[in-house]
Amino acid sequence: MTPAGVATGPRPGLVRHGLVALTAVGILAAAFELFSEHHWNGVEQLVPWAALAALAAATVLVLRPGGSGVGAARVLALLVLGASVYGVVDHVLVNYGSGPLDERFADTWDALPLLTRVWYAASKEVGPAPTLAPGVLGQTALLLLLATVGAPRRRAVAPG
Amino acid sequence: MTRTLPRLTAACGAALLSVGLVACGSSTATSPGTPATAPVQSEIATAPPADDATDGATADEDDPDDSGDGGTATAVAGDGAADKVSANTASEDEIAQALTAAGVSNPARWAEEVVEYRPYPADDPDLTKLRKNLAKYNPGQETTDEIVSALTP
Repeated sequence: MTPAGVATGPRPGLVRHGLVALTAVGILAAAFELFSEHHWNGVEQLVPWAALAALAAATVLVLRPGGSGVGAARVLALLVLGASVYGVVDHVLVNYGSGPLDERFADTWDALPLLTRVWYAASKEVGPAPTLAPGVLGQTALLLLLATVGAPRRRAVAPG
Repeated sequence: MTRTLPRLTAACGAALLSVGLVACGSSTATSPGTPATAPVQSEIATAPPADDATDGATADEDDPDDSGDGGTATAVAGDGAADKVSANTASEDEIAQALTAAGVSNPARWAEEVVEYRPYPADDPDLTKLRKNLAKYNPGQETTDEIVSALTP
């Protein structure tokens, strides 16, 4: 018999910690991927590393007792989300710029319709950059944002 | 009801992460072990200015010996069209000029790629590392050979 109004599901803390754990897995997986791709040629390629550092800091903030770091963690996660969108756009642009280098399109690239060129770049038909790979950063940031929903808040202790 | 929502949230998060990681892995599977991106450049130069290469101050002089004995300094002078430049130490403009002389189209763009993937092993005159990286752009064997023919490690 469960009294009315009392939650019987898993503790909210369990779900929150699960989301934080998935965030940590995402950070480690993205770092491994970047490392294996030698993703450090130039300042632009360091952006995802900075985003990962921010996401790691945000993860630590979420775990702070009393929920005192939740606000800052959300701001950092939103920044990472922005970096993720930037990465996807940047990868598409890199592929777009590589169109004339591809022997299949070297002579015809400029004559192709704009939408066709963009589609070829976005679908990695031309160019070396994986277009959706930076999206993993955004996805991981979203996981962390979800983990902050319903996070414990520091409350003033009532006297007496 | 109170049980379902957190479980759904966690399941969706896990599924999204898995899909993302799979997408990330598969999209790079065609070029393992190579950098994922290159600098953005929407302008495609057709030929570099002939006198750009006189500005030797822009050459990367800080890593001449990264990959072995530093026998190749900046350029290997020959006579006529057989001039080769060092892929490790020549400036981007010098490389572009050498590629132009070798008949490579888009020489400035290729020179940028050559500089990006430095350093190259000094004991590999065929520039295997460069060939591997250029292959990501699908330039074709002829273009790759033309590029490499203008360069030395």
